[in-house]
Amino acid sequence: MKVHYQPKPQSLLSSFLLIFIIQANQVGIGIHGFQRVIFMEAKQDGWISVLVAGFATHIVVFVIIKTLQIYGSTDIYGIHHEVYGKWLGKLFNSLYILYCLWIFLLILKNYIEVLQTWVFPTVPVWLFSFSILLLVIYGVTGGIRMIVGVCFFSIALSLWIFVFIVYPLRYTDFGHLLPVMESSLVPILKGAYKMTLTILGFEILYVIYPYMEKKEKLQKYAHIGVAASNFVYLLLMLLAIGYFSPGQLLSTIWPTLTLFKIVKLPFIERIEYFAVTFWLLIILPNLMLYLWAAVRGVKQSFGISQKKTLWVFATLIFVFSLFINTRIKINRFNDIFASLAFYFTFCYPLVLYAFALLKKKINTYKEQMK
Amino acid sequence: MFFIKKLFSPKDEVVTKDQDLIPDTKEKMSAEFRKRLHYSTDILENQVGSSGITIFSISTLIDKTMFHQDIIDPIKNLSFDSIQNVMEHLSVGEIKQANQMEKVIKSALDGDVIIYLAGETSVLLAKIPSRVGRSLTFAENETHVIGPQIAFNESLITNIALIRNYIKDPDLCVEDFVIGSRTNKSGSILYLSGIASEQMVNTLRQRIDAIKIDGILDSSVLLQLIEDKSLSLFPLMLLTERPDRVCDLLLKGKLAVLVDGSSLAIVCPHSFMEFFQAMEDSNVNWQIGTFYRLLRLIALFFSVFLTAIYVACLTFHYEVIPQTLLVTLSESRARVPFPPIIEALLLEFFLELLREAGARLPTKVGQTMGIVGGIVIGTAAVDAGFTSNILIIIIALAALGSFVTPSYFMGNVIRVLRFPLIILAGFWGFYGIMYGFCFLLLHLLRQSSLGSPYLAPFYPPRFADWKDSIIRLPLSFTYKRPDLSRPENENQYDPIKAKEKN
Repeated sequence: MKVHYQPKPQSLLSSFLLIFIIQANQVGIGIHGFQRVIFMEAKQDGWISVLVAGFATHIVVFVIIKTLQIYGSTDIYGIHHEVYGKWLGKLFNSLYILYCLWIFLLILKNYIEVLQTWVFPTVPVWLFSFSILLLVIYGVTGGIRMIVGVCFFSIALSLWIFVFIVYPLRYTDFGHLLPVMESSLVPILKGAYKMTLTILGFEILYVIYPYMEKKEKLQKYAHIGVAASNFVYLLLMLLAIGYFSPGQLLSTIWPTLTLFKIVKLPFIERIEYFAVTFWLLIILPNLMLYLWAAVRGVKQSFGISQKKTLWVFATLIFVFSLFINTRIKINRFNDIFASLAFYFTFCYPLVLYAFALLKKKINTYKEQMK
Repeated sequence: MFFIKKLFSPKDEVVTKDQDLIPDTKEKMSAEFRKRLHYSTDILENQVGSSGITIFSISTLIDKTMFHQDIIDPIKNLSFDSIQNVMEHLSVGEIKQANQMEKVIKSALDGDVIIYLAGETSVLLAKIPSRVGRSLTFAENETHVIGPQIAFNESLITNIALIRNYIKDPDLCVEDFVIGSRTNKSGSILYLSGIASEQMVNTLRQRIDAIKIDGILDSSVLLQLIEDKSLSLFPLMLLTERPDRVCDLLLKGKLAVLVDGSSLAIVCPHSFMEFFQAMEDSNVNWQIGTFYRLLRLIALFFSVFLTAIYVACLTFHYEVIPQTLLVTLSESRARVPFPPIIEALLLEFFLELLREAGARLPTKVGQTMGIVGGIVIGTAAVDAGFTSNILIIIIALAALGSFVTPSYFMGNVIRVLRFPLIILAGFWGFYGIMYGFCFLLLHLLRQSSLGSPYLAPFYPPRFADWKDSIIRLPLSFTYKRPDLSRPENENQYDPIKAKEKN
């Protein structure tokens, strides 16, 4: 396996699309209910936690792109192979593939739970996961250009949601934010840590990188994308703290959706029914990107055809989605994943960067010796 | 089969070459000509006076007046020793020489007369085809209030002449091709060289060359054969009967295909958004043009989703209907014995029947009758407790929405799309509608028109082309050719001068 991977010129994407890729992949299912979890830790200073988490994300994104730039045009699978060698590289690649599948399952399960709670309490899980998986497979077989197209449309078509912020804003009391910095540093950091599940998604950079044109511009666009999703998180956090009373927020599992409830238009009420189903379009790019990343990983490191792995993975996810069926199980599933994902997305890139630098140093040293 | 052909083909060629020569006596020529045309009764053989010349033709294909005036009259009293001399005396514009029987027969089928002189190795082919067809008429399927009213007819030559009259530019290329192993239809690819992308012209040429079919009678069939490989419901290339529209698109760097005997021109590449644009948008003020386009887009949304939303709301989501509306809704639904999905499908099906009947009825009156009948029967359906009033309004709105689409082909697709969406809405409510929407989005993203992305200029985003997509900005802004056609020359006119003058 070669480290360097150069896709065909017709599948390359303009570099500014990275903004949409990153934002679409970051904003997903977590946005429904992250406010409560953070509020539990940091109280009314939760918005500072969001800022801290956002800042950390910027640093990690910077490091990720630095790591990728060492090798020119490659993805994480190639880097693993280069840094750890053949066998250990394959092991790490498998772990990364598992991570992608896991997060896929997590998004799917959480979305189905929201669907069941808010709209269709009686429709069985398998029907939802089966139908969504079919859609995702249809998308992934279309190739990366198409997946990025979905990212683009998912953002462009959901901009109207921001208009509805006006409704809760009328009842918002920003006095809830006071006193600022009441929580000490530890709860704020804990809150930031709880942001992990919501904020992750930027690590798709590791896989999408070789497909982008003009790699020198990617640093800029990646940061714009991260900043845009940080803005969304901050806005929703402030809105939730201002709109709900502390006790209310603690007992509201999906504050963002609850905010929709008060929207009332002359021809349609209870917008949240529509919003919940509309979220299919918002999670679709997440699902497709992660499944695509996993399938690409198998192709890159084991050379198995993408079509076969796609169907195998889809079947696996379908079967697993049937077993995680209660709120408690989903919660436990989320928590285990969150702690793992924190190390995987926030700490591991730094380690990988250090290793990659070291490896490069050794290589140049070796060449000099020759 | 193929390798057997390959094995024997060199030998075959030798044989045909020998047989293909022009026979040296009049009797042999006559026998050969008749044999190859299977002794059809419309074969005409004229011995011209004492000149020793024999003229063969298919009488049904040639213009009789021209035949007597321009061919027989000038030569009947002369005598010739070589075929070259004959040519000087004929007053027909298009004369060719041929020395192979194969070619002779093909030309005879194309409306040529064959002028034969015994002992010569070649014959003359003079083109005097009879003009069978109609004159130019108004555009009836794509009517516009403002703008030229003329439409293509079935003659390839007339159609090319129409386009040449609009674009008097030496760069306008007309490339001929022949299609169908039996129909032998001639057709033309038109493009502006130096503007249209060479690569696209090549692709189109290859696709047309690769077609293996015995007969094509209309360009709409050709379109199905040269579309990008897909099982898509959506039209991936434009079919239009308006020469001004074709010319406008040619100037934007697209390619057009005309087929003899067809009054529709194929234009490609064409994007999804462009199916919702009409020539009239550019003929009126840009503000009005923008209004039209937005109107059509809203109509598209209504047409595809409105009935489905009604079904979803009434089946699963009563909560989203405001209270005041709910009262009227439940009042009008109270007498209806069916679930909403059956009610909607029934009425949609009914409307489709009316539309189809209107299209098949002989005159335009039939169509008006159909719609009037629809309203009358619709009211009766409500009175009988078959459907609710509100559904009738919604269905009528949706139907109107599909009729405002300028392209008839796209209108068809919109109407067909409603049915799966209604069914999805009936089973899964809003989730079903959203599911259908996502599927459509994925589906549209996968399509391409002659290799160009179908959803351009939205994805891949080409912000410069947004000026002339959903909205239309004044001409001083839209000086660029769309990126969709990958033009060799980007600017339609000088942007700086355009800002000053236009």
